[in-house]
Amino acid sequence: MFDKILIANRGEIALRIQRACKELGIATVAVHSTADADAMHVRLADESVCIGPPPASESYLNIPRLLAACEITGADAIHPGYGFLSENARFAEILEEHQITFIGPTSEHIRIMGDKIEAKETAKRLGIPVVPGSDGAVTNDAQAQRVAKEMGFPVLIKAASGGGGRGMKVARSSEELASALSTARSEAKAAFGDDSVYMEKYLTKPRHIEIQVFGDGKGNAIHLGERDCSLQRRHQKVFEESPSPALNAQARKKIGETVAKAMQKLKYRGAGTVEFLYEDGEFFFIEMNTRLQVEHPVTEMITGLDLVIEQIRIASGAPLTLTQNDVTFSGHAIECRINAENPKTFRPSPGRITYWHPPGGLGVRVDSGAYQGYRIPPNYDSLIGKLIVHGKNRNECLMRLKRCLSEFVIDGIETTIPLFTELVRHPDIANGLYDIHWLEKYLSQP
Amino acid sequence: MAKDIKEPAVGEQVLIRELAQLLVETGLTEIEIEKSGLKVRVARNAHITAAMPAMMAAPAGATPVAVAAAAVEDIASHPGAVKSPMVGTAYRAPEPGAANFVEIGARVSQGQTLLIIEAMKTMNHIPAPKAGTVTQILFENGQPVEFGEPLMVVE
Repeated sequence: MFDKILIANRGEIALRIQRACKELGIATVAVHSTADADAMHVRLADESVCIGPPPASESYLNIPRLLAACEITGADAIHPGYGFLSENARFAEILEEHQITFIGPTSEHIRIMGDKIEAKETAKRLGIPVVPGSDGAVTNDAQAQRVAKEMGFPVLIKAASGGGGRGMKVARSSEELASALSTARSEAKAAFGDDSVYMEKYLTKPRHIEIQVFGDGKGNAIHLGERDCSLQRRHQKVFEESPSPALNAQARKKIGETVAKAMQKLKYRGAGTVEFLYEDGEFFFIEMNTRLQVEHPVTEMITGLDLVIEQIRIASGAPLTLTQNDVTFSGHAIECRINAENPKTFRPSPGRITYWHPPGGLGVRVDSGAYQGYRIPPNYDSLIGKLIVHGKNRNECLMRLKRCLSEFVIDGIETTIPLFTELVRHPDIANGLYDIHWLEKYLSQP
Repeated sequence: MAKDIKEPAVGEQVLIRELAQLLVETGLTEIEIEKSGLKVRVARNAHITAAMPAMMAAPAGATPVAVAAAAVEDIASHPGAVKSPMVGTAYRAPEPGAANFVEIGARVSQGQTLLIIEAMKTMNHIPAPKAGTVTQILFENGQPVEFGEPLMVVE
């Protein structure tokens, strides 16, 4: 087991990792930019190292500075959290070379799943159903037109180096296709440094359903059920729940087993999430995230497994805590991502939290690094916390969520809490009848 | 029924003075003790700032660090402070056994090497940002330093 873990992240996930390390008796090092000197996890960590000015490129993304911080503190492992360097194969490789454990999968698996074209081919090879589309990259307009004609419009053009909802363009007809392609290419080049694109059938009313997996790197892997993350704004998830209102036990078992078998074949190590679009009873692979996800608490609430502790244990060479037969699902859980944004315009609202009163009680969890008096820096994303509730069933969960949203006070900044207050009262949400376009449609109404 | 006391006895005066001194020393705002039928409470008006809840959130062990950090922060805003541009280990001399680059009182020219910071086997010379005299040296030889940490003062 590790003696000291360096937390290469910030905000709520850094605090989450700090907590897991403390429960395992592992010393922690919090690295931070000057903007995060007052962060809660920095105050709670055993040691802290300021690694640079606010811009992520000079701090949280700066590999030499992270390595130097490891060197001066003697950390023997790094937990990369999510975002930043968590899916940077080169970073994982460099740590491997320096004999510092990267808490996550091998650099090879990060690389395979990071290239979305290769990820899809790999998924196919492993028996995971995929969205019909171009087999590999689309290199010229004629090929694009041919593929689109075969699949039928509308089609989606996706950046090979994209992912996380970025770098996608829709073309609804062959007239639109050429310009959509060239726009997609130039945007991909600008955003990811790579203009390779591929095409997929654009599903009209799918749900986003993802499966949490865990592997020990030696051929054993389990699934921990699904999360329904269909409610998204600009391809960013805002509300996640498990189990999915759309799946029954049979469907869950089938997709879970398919994914677990694939991860066993791959000899995958650590936490991962395989994301699907689900339409008309069929699953279509879109991508795999080789890291912990923001919405992991939803799975923790229904399985009782601490996923960050499990990540650390696996990384230290221990076997999986549970076999598939040990995994049980209990009750229902919902997470709301609370952003420091205006709930109608979504304009970011950094500033000082003058009053902070989170909800509490049975089945209530708030994962947040915020506190009264905390000043939210303007330099990073606007996620300030996650409200997660658990109930015996979906109805109880929704009642609990309604109650929690009415108790939660965050003054001094604007937050998206009012949006969730509206959503939980909407009949479609109450009935679980939504797809990945639902929220955008709802928000576009006057 | 309280006994009317016109003036505290000498022993009680000593006690009250001691308690008052304790308030000042510890930064507390109120102390109350009760012993052998005598109850004494001393309090002072304290300005409750917004910093209070934040300080209460910090673990007890962090307080000395917070005080030291405050002192360091003052030096960090000194106009002559030379702050670390990187994370690493700071050394006073080019190699073990060699003479230190500078001592307190040394006159330095702009760009002259003041110290070395080593990170991942590379040695990085830290230059004086302007000509002047080294008035403070704020680190020990071989000390790990972080970004922005004040290392020396050149005035």
